[in-house]
Amino acid sequence: MLTAFAAALQDTDLATALRQSFWVYPLVNAGHIVGLALLFGAIVPLDLRLLGVWRQVPLAAMSRILLPVAIAGLLLAVPTGALLFSVRATEYAAMPLFGVKFALIACAIANALLLRLSLAWTVHEHSELAGTTPRLQLAGALSIGLWLAVITAGRMIGYL
Amino acid sequence: MQRRSILTGSFALLTAGLGRAAWAHHGWRWTEDGNFELTGVITATRLGNPHGILEVDAEGEAWIVEVGQPWRNERAGLTDDMLVEGVEITASGGRSADPSENRMKAERVSIDGTVYELYPERD
Repeated sequence: MLTAFAAALQDTDLATALRQSFWVYPLVNAGHIVGLALLFGAIVPLDLRLLGVWRQVPLAAMSRILLPVAIAGLLLAVPTGALLFSVRATEYAAMPLFGVKFALIACAIANALLLRLSLAWTVHEHSELAGTTPRLQLAGALSIGLWLAVITAGRMIGYL
Repeated sequence: MQRRSILTGSFALLTAGLGRAAWAHHGWRWTEDGNFELTGVITATRLGNPHGILEVDAEGEAWIVEVGQPWRNERAGLTDDMLVEGVEITASGGRSADPSENRMKAERVSIDGTVYELYPERD
Protein backbone atom coordinates (compact mmCIF):
# COMPACT_ATOMS: atom_id res chain seq x y z
CA MET A 1 0.00 0.00 0.00
CA LEU A 2 2.84 2.32 0.86
CA THR A 3 4.62 1.35 -2.35
CA ALA A 4 1.50 2.15 -4.38
CA PHE A 5 1.30 5.58 -2.77
CA ALA A 6 5.02 6.13 -3.30
CA ALA A 7 4.78 5.09 -6.95
CA ALA A 8 1.87 7.44 -7.54
CA LEU A 9 3.70 10.29 -5.80
CA GLN A 10 6.82 9.69 -7.86
CA ASP A 11 4.79 9.88 -11.07
CA THR A 12 3.20 13.25 -10.35
CA ASP A 13 4.10 16.15 -12.63
CA LEU A 14 5.73 17.97 -9.72
CA ALA A 15 7.99 15.07 -8.74
CA THR A 16 8.88 14.45 -12.37
CA ALA A 17 9.73 18.10 -12.94
CA LEU A 18 12.00 18.09 -9.89
CA ARG A 19 13.66 14.88 -10.99
CA GLN A 20 14.45 16.38 -14.39
CA SER A 21 15.30 19.89 -13.24
CA PHE A 22 18.75 21.35 -13.44
CA TRP A 23 18.85 23.82 -10.57
CA VAL A 24 15.52 23.59 -8.74
CA TYR A 25 16.33 20.26 -7.13
CA PRO A 26 19.56 21.44 -5.44
CA LEU A 27 17.76 24.62 -4.37
CA VAL A 28 15.01 22.57 -2.72
CA ASN A 29 17.76 20.51 -1.13
CA ALA A 30 19.43 23.67 0.16
CA GLY A 31 16.06 24.85 1.48
CA HIS A 32 15.71 21.61 3.41
CA ILE A 33 19.13 22.19 4.96
CA VAL A 34 18.28 25.80 5.85
CA GLY A 35 15.08 24.55 7.50
CA LEU A 36 16.82 21.94 9.59
CA ALA A 37 19.60 24.38 10.44
CA LEU A 38 17.08 26.89 11.78
CA LEU A 39 15.21 24.19 13.66
CA PHE A 40 18.28 22.63 15.25
CA GLY A 41 20.09 25.91 15.74
CA ALA A 42 17.16 27.35 17.68
CA ILE A 43 16.15 24.26 19.60
CA VAL A 44 19.60 23.46 20.99
CA PRO A 45 19.98 26.64 23.09
CA LEU A 46 16.41 26.20 24.31
CA ASP A 47 17.08 22.56 25.21
CA LEU A 48 20.27 23.54 26.98
CA ARG A 49 18.25 26.02 29.03
CA LEU A 50 15.82 23.22 29.88
CA LEU A 51 18.79 21.17 30.99
CA GLY A 52 19.85 23.99 33.29
CA VAL A 53 22.41 25.99 31.35
CA TRP A 54 21.91 29.76 31.81
CA ARG A 55 19.48 28.94 34.63
CA GLN A 56 19.18 32.59 35.67
CA VAL A 57 17.62 33.49 32.34
CA PRO A 58 13.84 32.93 32.57
CA LEU A 59 12.68 30.13 30.31
CA ALA A 60 9.91 32.35 28.95
CA ALA A 61 12.41 34.90 27.66
CA MET A 62 14.29 32.30 25.66
CA SER A 63 11.33 30.34 24.34
CA ARG A 64 9.64 33.53 23.12
CA ILE A 65 12.48 33.93 20.60
CA LEU A 66 13.71 30.42 19.96
CA LEU A 67 10.43 28.56 19.63
CA PRO A 68 9.09 30.59 16.68
CA VAL A 69 12.44 30.21 14.89
CA ALA A 70 12.48 26.47 15.50
CA ILE A 71 8.93 26.13 14.25
CA ALA A 72 9.72 28.21 11.17
CA GLY A 73 12.63 25.86 10.49
CA LEU A 74 10.36 22.84 10.81
CA LEU A 75 7.79 24.44 8.50
CA LEU A 76 10.52 24.87 5.89
CA ALA A 77 12.09 21.45 6.41
CA VAL A 78 8.87 19.44 6.10
CA PRO A 79 7.60 20.54 2.66
CA THR A 80 11.11 20.63 1.16
CA GLY A 81 11.68 17.17 2.61
CA ALA A 82 8.42 15.95 1.10
CA LEU A 83 9.49 17.30 -2.29
CA LEU A 84 12.89 15.61 -2.06
CA PHE A 85 11.19 12.38 -1.01
CA SER A 86 8.76 12.52 -3.91
CA VAL A 87 11.55 12.51 -6.51
CA ARG A 88 12.55 8.92 -5.66
CA ALA A 89 9.64 7.94 -3.43
CA THR A 90 9.64 4.21 -4.12
CA GLU A 91 13.38 3.91 -3.55
CA TYR A 92 13.26 5.88 -0.26
CA ALA A 93 10.13 4.12 0.97
CA ALA A 94 11.99 0.81 0.63
CA MET A 95 14.85 1.98 2.84
CA PRO A 96 14.50 1.01 6.52
CA LEU A 97 16.49 4.13 7.37
CA PHE A 98 13.66 6.28 6.06
CA GLY A 99 11.17 4.66 8.39
CA VAL A 100 13.62 5.25 11.21
CA LYS A 101 13.91 8.93 10.33
CA PHE A 102 10.12 9.38 10.23
CA ALA A 103 9.72 7.60 13.55
CA LEU A 104 12.39 9.82 15.12
CA ILE A 105 10.68 12.97 13.81
CA ALA A 106 7.38 11.77 15.25
CA CYS A 107 9.03 11.15 18.62
CA ALA A 108 10.73 14.54 18.61
CA ILE A 109 7.48 16.34 17.84
CA ALA A 110 5.62 14.26 20.44
CA ASN A 111 8.25 15.16 23.02
CA ALA A 112 7.77 18.85 22.23
CA LEU A 113 3.98 18.67 22.39
CA LEU A 114 3.99 16.72 25.65
CA LEU A 115 6.34 19.26 27.15
CA ARG A 116 4.06 22.07 26.01
CA LEU A 117 1.17 20.39 27.85
CA SER A 118 3.18 19.73 31.00
CA LEU A 119 2.74 21.53 34.30
CA ALA A 120 6.45 22.30 34.51
CA TRP A 121 6.37 24.19 31.23
CA THR A 122 3.18 26.08 32.10
CA VAL A 123 4.64 27.20 35.40
CA HIS A 124 7.90 28.37 33.89
CA GLU A 125 6.36 30.00 30.86
CA HIS A 126 4.08 32.20 32.94
CA SER A 127 6.67 33.30 35.45
CA GLU A 128 10.13 34.72 35.67
CA LEU A 129 11.35 31.59 37.41
CA ALA A 130 14.99 30.68 37.25
CA GLY A 131 16.37 27.16 37.39
CA THR A 132 14.85 24.01 35.98
CA THR A 133 13.05 20.82 36.98
CA PRO A 134 13.57 17.13 36.19
CA ARG A 135 10.59 17.19 33.81
CA LEU A 136 12.12 20.05 31.83
CA GLN A 137 15.54 18.41 31.85
CA LEU A 138 14.13 15.18 30.47
CA ALA A 139 12.43 17.00 27.62
CA GLY A 140 15.60 18.98 26.84
CA ALA A 141 17.81 15.91 26.72
CA LEU A 142 15.34 13.95 24.59
CA SER A 143 14.93 16.86 22.22
CA ILE A 144 18.64 17.28 21.52
CA GLY A 145 19.15 13.53 21.16
CA LEU A 146 16.16 13.01 18.88
CA TRP A 147 16.78 15.93 16.50
CA LEU A 148 20.45 14.99 16.27
CA ALA A 149 19.42 11.46 15.35
CA VAL A 150 16.98 12.81 12.74
CA ILE A 151 19.74 14.86 11.10
CA THR A 152 22.13 11.91 11.14
CA ALA A 153 19.55 9.58 9.62
CA GLY A 154 18.79 12.17 6.96
CA ARG A 155 22.46 12.51 6.03
CA MET A 156 22.84 8.72 5.87
CA ILE A 157 19.97 8.47 3.38
CA GLY A 158 21.93 10.46 0.84
CA TYR A 159 25.13 8.62 1.62
CA LEU A 160 24.38 4.91 1.89
CA MET B 1 48.00 44.78 10.82
CA GLN B 2 50.82 42.48 9.68
CA ARG B 3 49.53 39.60 11.81
CA ARG B 4 46.09 39.94 10.27
CA SER B 5 47.45 39.70 6.70
CA ILE B 6 49.53 36.64 7.64
CA LEU B 7 46.42 35.02 9.12
CA THR B 8 44.27 35.86 6.08
CA GLY B 9 46.98 34.64 3.73
CA SER B 10 47.44 31.32 5.53
CA PHE B 11 43.68 30.82 5.75
CA ALA B 12 43.33 31.43 2.01
CA LEU B 13 46.15 28.97 1.21
CA LEU B 14 44.72 26.35 3.54
CA THR B 15 41.20 26.53 2.12
CA ALA B 16 42.55 26.56 -1.43
CA GLY B 17 44.56 23.42 -0.71
CA LEU B 18 41.68 21.68 1.02
CA GLY B 19 39.32 22.87 -1.67
CA ARG B 20 41.33 21.28 -4.44
CA ALA B 21 41.59 18.02 -2.56
CA ALA B 22 37.85 18.05 -1.95
CA TRP B 23 37.19 18.82 -5.61
CA ALA B 24 39.32 15.90 -6.71
CA HIS B 25 37.63 13.38 -4.45
CA HIS B 26 34.05 14.54 -4.05
CA GLY B 27 31.69 11.73 -4.93
CA TRP B 28 34.52 9.37 -5.95
CA ARG B 29 35.70 8.22 -2.56
CA TRP B 30 34.06 4.80 -2.96
CA THR B 31 35.77 4.08 -6.29
CA GLU B 32 39.16 2.65 -7.18
CA ASP B 33 41.88 4.64 -8.86
CA GLY B 34 42.52 4.19 -12.53
CA ASN B 35 40.22 3.90 -15.52
CA PHE B 36 37.91 0.94 -15.51
CA GLU B 37 36.05 0.15 -18.70
CA LEU B 38 32.79 -1.70 -19.09
CA THR B 39 30.90 -2.56 -22.27
CA GLY B 40 27.40 -3.89 -22.26
CA VAL B 41 23.76 -3.39 -23.10
CA ILE B 42 21.43 -1.15 -21.09
CA THR B 43 18.66 -3.19 -19.49
CA ALA B 44 17.04 -0.47 -17.39
CA THR B 45 17.50 3.16 -16.42
CA ARG B 46 16.72 5.35 -13.41
CA LEU B 47 17.68 8.79 -14.59
CA GLY B 48 17.16 12.16 -12.96
CA ASN B 49 18.03 13.85 -9.68
CA PRO B 50 19.72 13.17 -7.33
CA HIS B 51 21.62 10.34 -9.04
CA GLY B 52 21.13 8.83 -12.50
CA ILE B 53 21.96 5.16 -13.00
CA LEU B 54 21.98 2.63 -15.81
CA GLU B 55 21.55 -1.09 -15.33
CA VAL B 56 23.91 -2.71 -17.81
CA ASP B 57 24.28 -6.34 -18.84
CA ALA B 58 27.96 -6.92 -19.57
CA GLU B 59 28.52 -10.46 -20.87
CA GLY B 60 25.87 -11.88 -18.61
CA GLU B 61 26.93 -9.86 -15.54
CA ALA B 62 24.52 -7.31 -14.09
CA TRP B 63 26.22 -3.96 -13.48
CA ILE B 64 25.14 -0.55 -12.21
CA VAL B 65 26.71 2.40 -14.01
CA GLU B 66 26.28 5.78 -12.33
CA VAL B 67 25.85 8.60 -14.78
CA GLY B 68 25.25 12.28 -14.08
CA GLN B 69 22.32 14.38 -12.95
CA PRO B 70 20.22 15.95 -15.72
CA TRP B 71 22.45 19.03 -16.00
CA ARG B 72 25.63 16.98 -16.23
CA ASN B 73 24.28 14.54 -18.79
CA GLU B 74 22.96 17.34 -20.94
CA ARG B 75 26.23 19.23 -20.72
CA ALA B 76 27.96 16.12 -22.06
CA GLY B 77 25.48 15.88 -24.91
CA LEU B 78 23.50 12.97 -23.49
CA THR B 79 19.73 13.10 -23.51
CA ASP B 80 17.40 10.69 -21.73
CA ASP B 81 16.18 9.20 -25.01
CA MET B 82 19.76 8.18 -25.86
CA LEU B 83 19.98 6.14 -22.67
CA VAL B 84 17.32 3.51 -23.14
CA GLU B 85 16.94 -0.25 -22.91
CA GLY B 86 18.78 -2.10 -25.66
CA VAL B 87 21.47 0.51 -26.29
CA GLU B 88 25.04 -0.80 -26.34
CA ILE B 89 27.26 1.39 -24.23
CA THR B 90 30.88 1.55 -23.11
CA ALA B 91 31.43 3.29 -19.80
CA SER B 92 34.84 4.32 -18.54
CA GLY B 93 35.51 5.60 -15.04
CA GLY B 94 35.91 4.47 -11.46
CA ARG B 95 34.98 0.96 -10.42
CA SER B 96 33.66 0.39 -6.91
CA ALA B 97 36.52 -0.49 -4.57
CA ASP B 98 34.31 -3.25 -3.20
CA PRO B 99 35.03 -6.27 -5.43
CA SER B 100 31.70 -7.88 -4.53
CA GLU B 101 29.81 -4.90 -5.93
CA ASN B 102 29.31 -4.62 -9.69
CA ARG B 103 29.07 -0.86 -9.71
CA MET B 104 31.00 1.95 -11.36
CA LYS B 105 30.80 5.67 -11.77
CA ALA B 106 31.21 6.82 -15.35
CA GLU B 107 33.62 9.59 -16.24
CA ARG B 108 32.62 9.18 -19.86
CA VAL B 109 30.38 6.94 -21.90
CA SER B 110 30.53 6.07 -25.56
CA ILE B 111 27.59 5.09 -27.70
CA ASP B 112 28.05 4.18 -31.36
CA GLY B 113 31.60 5.46 -31.44
CA THR B 114 30.80 8.88 -29.96
CA VAL B 115 32.31 9.72 -26.60
CA TYR B 116 30.34 11.80 -24.10
CA GLU B 117 32.44 13.37 -21.36
CA LEU B 118 30.64 13.59 -18.04
CA TYR B 119 33.66 14.73 -16.08
CA PRO B 120 35.96 16.56 -18.52
CA GLU B 121 38.30 17.58 -15.69
CA ARG B 122 39.00 13.92 -14.92
CA ASP B 123 41.31 11.94 -17.22
